[in-house]
Amino acid sequence: MPGGLQLFLEALSGFAEPATLASVLWATLLGILVGMMPGLTATLGVALLTTLTFKMPAGDAILILICMYVGAIYGGSRSAILLNIPGTPANAATTLDGFPLARAGQAGRAMGIATAGSFCGSLIGMLMLVLVAPVLADFALAFGSYEFFWLAMFGIVISGQLTAIDDPLKGWIAGFLGLLVAMVGQEGIHAYQRFSYGITELSGGFGLLPVLVGAFGFAEILQVMKQPAYEVVRNAGGRILPRLAEIFRYRRTIVRSGFIGTLMGLLPGVGEDIGAWGSYAAARRASREREKFGKGSVEGLLAAETGNNAAVPGAIIPVLTLAIPGSAPAAVLLAAMFIHGIRPGPLIMIEFPSFVYEVVAMVLLASLAILVLGLALTRPLLYVLAIPRERLMPVIFVLCTVGAFAIASRLFDVWVMVGFGVLGFLLREMKYPMAPLVLGVVLGPILDKNFRRAMVLSDGSLEPFFTRPISAVLALLTLISILAAIPRLRTATLRLAARFGGGRAVAGGGSGPGS
Amino acid sequence: MPRADLWAGTGFLALGAATAAESWRMPRFAQLEVNPWSVPGLVPGLIGVVLLLLGAVLMLRAVREGALRPGAGLAGELGFDAERRRRTLLALLLTLGYAVGLVGRLPFRTATFLFVFAFVALFRIERDMARGLLLRELAFAALEALLVALAVGFVFERLFYVRLP
Repeated sequence: MPGGLQLFLEALSGFAEPATLASVLWATLLGILVGMMPGLTATLGVALLTTLTFKMPAGDAILILICMYVGAIYGGSRSAILLNIPGTPANAATTLDGFPLARAGQAGRAMGIATAGSFCGSLIGMLMLVLVAPVLADFALAFGSYEFFWLAMFGIVISGQLTAIDDPLKGWIAGFLGLLVAMVGQEGIHAYQRFSYGITELSGGFGLLPVLVGAFGFAEILQVMKQPAYEVVRNAGGRILPRLAEIFRYRRTIVRSGFIGTLMGLLPGVGEDIGAWGSYAAARRASREREKFGKGSVEGLLAAETGNNAAVPGAIIPVLTLAIPGSAPAAVLLAAMFIHGIRPGPLIMIEFPSFVYEVVAMVLLASLAILVLGLALTRPLLYVLAIPRERLMPVIFVLCTVGAFAIASRLFDVWVMVGFGVLGFLLREMKYPMAPLVLGVVLGPILDKNFRRAMVLSDGSLEPFFTRPISAVLALLTLISILAAIPRLRTATLRLAARFGGGRAVAGGGSGPGS
Repeated sequence: MPRADLWAGTGFLALGAATAAESWRMPRFAQLEVNPWSVPGLVPGLIGVVLLLLGAVLMLRAVREGALRPGAGLAGELGFDAERRRRTLLALLLTLGYAVGLVGRLPFRTATFLFVFAFVALFRIERDMARGLLLRELAFAALEALLVALAVGFVFERLFYVRLP
């Protein structure tokens, strides 16, 4: 079998075609535009592009989707810096130092630093993808039904907790709602149609893409239209090209944020938002210029942007090796892989070893594209922020409608999109995070099938769920996550963290709708 | 937001209870001698029970936080003042009218033209009337609607070979 480096170089040379490189550029640019516009998230961008690209060859389609994903998470920094509104929830931490820098007449410098941070973050995440994915896939070969059940359960618990840090109860409710949604339709063991009530369209269950487009697209449109107008600032003052010395000075912050971002991406359903907040909090704790954080700290901005972009390849690792998404956009990517006949999971290094390295090459191309486009098109891209939302939102809704319809050519999917949009809007208004809901929809069939299989294997005994080594570790992690969310225990933990760290751990990461 | 939590908690509790009850009613295939741990109602039933419990915890917490005491009301708690209510209802009316009412009944391009025109015109009408720019804005709305209807149709159908509703 050829080595990883050889497979990577082969993948890279395979992409060195003018048409492919043009696809990289347009998809990344589209991603940056989607990320820049408040109201459009990476999840929606990837979902809409999935519907557009599902007739393309698998490699081309996945490349375009990864470019959209990387571009959107980076693009959100623009509106965070210039408008103080994160373009995607992953850029919320960017506003803390990006906007003060822009207000101080250094918007260009802030955008350059954000670009450098995003590029470095993607590269670190990419390296981790190369190193971790084969090992994790090999490790996951030992997983049985017990382990997959706990992995799904741990995903729901940790995602619910970390995406609603102020109120984990709501995160868990969102996660279990997602699991319930996944229970509708034909189940995988006896082919019984659950909760279908004779309605033909429900027998196949709810499609992931219409649900996602509704919960992330339509719900966001309603939220944006509800708000009174925001002021648009178009001031790109200052030097845009980042100084290498400045970036090199914060190399430790970049590497640390890259690792934290990748780790947060790796955790099921946690993703870029928490990648940014976690990196920001860690950078603040370790910084010698702590007092500058929140007032225009270059280090803070670098940490947030490195962290969220590192989480992108991080979130792809469990997609490839466990078929479990690390974030909401990664859930769409997973669905797209299944649509295109790629079967991610523990067998990926045996069945499709070259695909893993193709994905690494795709991340590298997308990272290079954000660097080039981000620095070259800084000023022209600012005009996008001036489009009034009354003009933009109806166009987005038309795309949501067509996107929901396109995969199966069923009007029913348009109604599903509308239904989940209204539900998502109401839940967001009440501060329920959307990422655990999406994760629940993806993990529902995995949890269902593996729990029942495991129970059949053990003849109803719960013992193996707690005695098999990997199962026991996952069960323990789930229990710790639940206990850590109990208010009294949490207060004690936060008090300890404040005593030793002097800051709010992943402050403010809660209640966001997910990337 | 205790009042909203109380309502939502009640809803989740009811949904969890209904799910558990429906799961209990699902077939067990005893006549086929299938393993009782593989029955289709097992996992949805457990999810229903968990949702019921989480809903109950949310309700109790909301009551403890003062959901039953007189206060700002549900709309006030969620920040829905008259202006926000009006904007949300208008957006809902227009989007639902398009997705549920027009799409599938009218040709896609016609439906899209009508929706985009109505959306842009209605949301900008107040501001532009005040500025005396109404006619110009209406003309721009019509132009945008026409371009969107034609461009979306072209891109999806001709470039990406995707069927339109």
